[in-house]
Amino acid sequence: MEGRMTSLEATMKASSTMASSMVRNADPDQQTLRSNSVEQFYFPRPGQSLPGIPPFFGPPSSSLYLPNDNEAKFGNQFESNPSQNTDWDPQAIVSNLTFLEQKIKQVKDIVQSMNNRENQVAGGSSELAAKQQLITADLTSIIIQLISTAGSLLPSMKNPLLSSNPAVRQLGNTLGSPMGFGMNANQRPSVDSKTDIPDTGKTSDYDELMNNLNTAQDERDELIKCPNPCGGEGSEPTPMEDHDVKESDDGGEGENLPPGSYVVLQLEKEEILAPHTHFCLICGKGFKRDANLRMHMRGHGDEYKTPAALAKPTKDSGADHAPVTRYSCPFVGCKRNKEHKKFQPLKTILCVKNHYKRSHCDKSYTCSRCNTKKFSVIADLKTHEKHCGRDKWLCSCGTTFSRKDKLFGHVALFQGHTPALPMEDVKVSEASEQPHDSEPMNEMARSMVYSFPSSSSDGISNLDMKMADDVRGYFSPLSFDPCFGALDDFTRPGFDISENPFSFLPSGSCSYGQQNGDS
Amino acid sequence: MSREAQKLDSAADGAVGIGVLSLDLLGQVLDRLREPRDRKACRLVSRAFERAEVAHRRALRVLRREPLPRLLRAFPALERLDLSACASLDDASLSAAVAGAGGGLAGLRSVCLARANGVGWRGLEALVAACPKLEAVDLSHCVSAGDREVAAVAAAAGLRELRLDKCLAVTDMGLAKVAVGCPRLEKLSLKWCREISDIGIDLLAKKCPELRSLNISYLEVGNESLRSISSLERLEELAMVCCSCIDDEGLELLSKGSDLLQSVDVSRCDHVTSEGLAALIDGRNFLQKLYAADCLHEIGQRFLSKLATLKETLTMLKLDGLEVSDSLLQAIGESCNKLVEVGLSKCSGVTDEGISSLVAQCSDLRSIDLTCCNLITNNALDSIADNCKMLECLRLESCSLINEKGLKRIATCCPNLKEIDLTDCGVDDAALEHLAKCSELRILKLGLCSSISDKGIAFISSNCGKLVELDLYRCNSITDDGLAALANGCKRIKLLNLCYCNKITDTGLGHLGSLEELTNLELRCLVRITGIGISSVAIGCKSLIELDLKRCYSVDDAGLWALARYALNLRQLTISYCQVTGLGLCHLLSSLRCLQDIKMVHLSWVSIEGFEMALRAACGRLKKLKMLCGLKTVLSPELLQMLQACGCRIRWVNKPLVYKD
Repeated sequence: MEGRMTSLEATMKASSTMASSMVRNADPDQQTLRSNSVEQFYFPRPGQSLPGIPPFFGPPSSSLYLPNDNEAKFGNQFESNPSQNTDWDPQAIVSNLTFLEQKIKQVKDIVQSMNNRENQVAGGSSELAAKQQLITADLTSIIIQLISTAGSLLPSMKNPLLSSNPAVRQLGNTLGSPMGFGMNANQRPSVDSKTDIPDTGKTSDYDELMNNLNTAQDERDELIKCPNPCGGEGSEPTPMEDHDVKESDDGGEGENLPPGSYVVLQLEKEEILAPHTHFCLICGKGFKRDANLRMHMRGHGDEYKTPAALAKPTKDSGADHAPVTRYSCPFVGCKRNKEHKKFQPLKTILCVKNHYKRSHCDKSYTCSRCNTKKFSVIADLKTHEKHCGRDKWLCSCGTTFSRKDKLFGHVALFQGHTPALPMEDVKVSEASEQPHDSEPMNEMARSMVYSFPSSSSDGISNLDMKMADDVRGYFSPLSFDPCFGALDDFTRPGFDISENPFSFLPSGSCSYGQQNGDS
Repeated sequence: MSREAQKLDSAADGAVGIGVLSLDLLGQVLDRLREPRDRKACRLVSRAFERAEVAHRRALRVLRREPLPRLLRAFPALERLDLSACASLDDASLSAAVAGAGGGLAGLRSVCLARANGVGWRGLEALVAACPKLEAVDLSHCVSAGDREVAAVAAAAGLRELRLDKCLAVTDMGLAKVAVGCPRLEKLSLKWCREISDIGIDLLAKKCPELRSLNISYLEVGNESLRSISSLERLEELAMVCCSCIDDEGLELLSKGSDLLQSVDVSRCDHVTSEGLAALIDGRNFLQKLYAADCLHEIGQRFLSKLATLKETLTMLKLDGLEVSDSLLQAIGESCNKLVEVGLSKCSGVTDEGISSLVAQCSDLRSIDLTCCNLITNNALDSIADNCKMLECLRLESCSLINEKGLKRIATCCPNLKEIDLTDCGVDDAALEHLAKCSELRILKLGLCSSISDKGIAFISSNCGKLVELDLYRCNSITDDGLAALANGCKRIKLLNLCYCNKITDTGLGHLGSLEELTNLELRCLVRITGIGISSVAIGCKSLIELDLKRCYSVDDAGLWALARYALNLRQLTISYCQVTGLGLCHLLSSLRCLQDIKMVHLSWVSIEGFEMALRAACGRLKKLKMLCGLKTVLSPELLQMLQACGCRIRWVNKPLVYKD
């Protein structure tokens, strides 16, 4: 296994040596590293994916092995061509290559640490197996990222090269735009493009490379797809309706990326539901904030202590060069699932999280004010609570709206619905009590009613609201749920322990045993 | 009493004759009596007529709240109920009356509650619940009416007509209630409902597709509203006076709307230009009335060419405040020769030539408004007289170059003249002598024509027996003799303005006492009149509704006592600067049960206690009150609160006490 790793490492290194001489821009690196670290650790799910799929490091990893001669040519292509292109962005290449370099270093580190531990802890075999599984999972994800980044090196130079170099063109077809992770094999444009290109026969070497990559991709597809069937509860592959009404902020709506122009990642349920978004690439520890992760990283070696590594990654740099990544919901049948005919990918991990929680999870957060509205995303609850009870625009059907135009749109849409005036309840009771009261009484009653309108319309509505609230009485200022503060941080005790991707590890058994919370 | 009534009276003497006629026939007879006074006479002298009226009476106007329950019970066939003048009507009395009427209101179709400030949603709810056939409701000028009141009205699902003018507290919510509750609404006026916005109008347009007439004047709505309104396919009339957020773009949207649009009013819409109007006219082949007063600054060629497409239909064009030229007036005349009414008030540049070329083409003109077109002379009047034989209304205020010669021509050639405004024209008795030929004259305004004397009034009185309104403001040559002639000849006068005619004394007022139909009388600054004159007016003018005695320095408590005793229908009264005391005021305010509006500034002889007592006595009835600012702090807060609670608006003024002659 280790031998294979080293060969892989060598392969990757060969492809990235050309970048080694170039200036290393710390910030973009950090950015790519950061963003990928998230994806990476969401991606493989050791606990459940392993038993379900064919051996990780058997055929797939061997197919990832690229013969050295191919590799050399690959590299040569890179080196020989840049001057010809006008819109070829050396910066992008550099940053991508640097990224590759870093990834390879990570692989190396992981293997080394595995090696060390194997020597130190000769403990229970099951523990060891678990660790190995974890490491292989890490490796797989890193490798996948390597490939995806390597693929993204090509599209930027694909067009200018097309005329001059058919091999690169094919490579571009294979690795570039269709480099979709998790793309279905039949969608892969390389198949079509092959028929279009007359001189494919001359480039047998590249065909081989391409085929290798294709097989790797197939494997990855499997890897990605496989968690779904064994995804556990709630993931029955029955087609379901899109009931996620609030998906507009889940991303991917407005943009019409052509299929295949982006990489599709599919996180698993457990990762989606994990509380943290930033994971240490070395020990797997999760963090809620990237800054905390960077502080944590200092413990893993001096290279993380450089000011560049500790600096806050700037947003714009590197973002252009990273592969366009979109996400798929693991819930089969969902429109956001890549299997869906009208698949609409999700833009970011946050979108995935929100979408999954909203659409496929129980709504476990109940508004403590109205006790009716339920949410699965805590932020939604908070948004609602900001307005709960303040929805003063009420329809006769009982629906409330925060804005008048929304209410009017609703009333216009539904026959028979009519806006309800705030004091309606009061009115009915009063009217039944004293319909024909004596004059002075009536005048006094009117004095109560009339004295307010004379001030301003705002005055009326405020007054009305106050009275209506008292009548309904479902919230007094004191009835705030005291646990809100706690909800703010994290809500469900036990959740993070049981559903954490690393929770299967006995705590404390190794250095990267999971300890939740910000460090 | 009219001749008809007298005839019936004599018939009633032989009661057998009337008794044999069926109720139906008697009802038909009653229907043909136009004057309420005559019907009353019939009712009083014959039981048969009384029965017939009970069975037949369709309309009822109630002036006091006390008899309301009895009246509603008495006339089960009522269709129209006017409560606008019903003093101190409030929720309790209205719901009690409605409840007392039982099923008697089942046939009621129309209710007028204009200015019924005391009525709130409780009363309206009871009323609407008792009247299943209600089709028209008028809530205009119920300034405190809000969403809840409108919602109560909206429970009448069959409503077709609704006026909400100046219901200041009505918002989009109230409008939405109406829109949803009354889908068959055909006429709606939202004038001055300033809280209503585009989204309210939008919902209205969606929910009430039958709307034919809509008034959104003075609303702060924009072009979006017009987009919504353009979806109303049956819209015929649209008024949007002073909608400053509406511009040409909105009119263009509107032009895509109803093909039936007949009348558009864009007066005082600052952002509307003739281009927008041209776009609106484009394709609107049925447009009959176009009101564009005080909104246009210039007229484009495109507008004129579009106007020509309305040649056959346009009957009414109002262009007040526009700078016009002779050629423009000529072009208008050629484009719209079916014009019946033209308004050029305050248009600068209106000359004799312009008017001549306009009227030469428009022989159907019945109404011409030339207010403040001060360049015109007798020549213009001559051409009007020559061309417009059907003329009924001519407004010439401030046209000081005209004189009796021009008016002579008018009076000779336009026998149908019903209304003429000669305010500030400097005409004299000779002009009135000619005008007296117009026996159809109803409205005559002679304000500021100080050379008019009793002689002129005598000419008018001799032949204009149908005169209803006479304005003699500051005609200070007029004396008691003139009033004697007037009272003798013009028995039908309802509105009379004698302000600053300071030669008038109690004797003159004594003559006025014979004008039984007089409703509005303004006697401002008649320093010679006293309580005696007021008494004769109060006793004689039984219909008096509005009386202005401001600066009648000699009027004292005696006048107030007379008013309190006799002027039972008085609704508006001004007694500022009069020499009255607290006692008189108390008596007045506690006796006059219809009094709603009283102005009493600088009543120096009235003590604070006097004001306090008087106001307490009138508390439930007053709707409007004008007093000196200083009283605000010395009157008891409970009283002021109580007044406001009863729907009374108090206007505090701060003016120095200056005596004028």
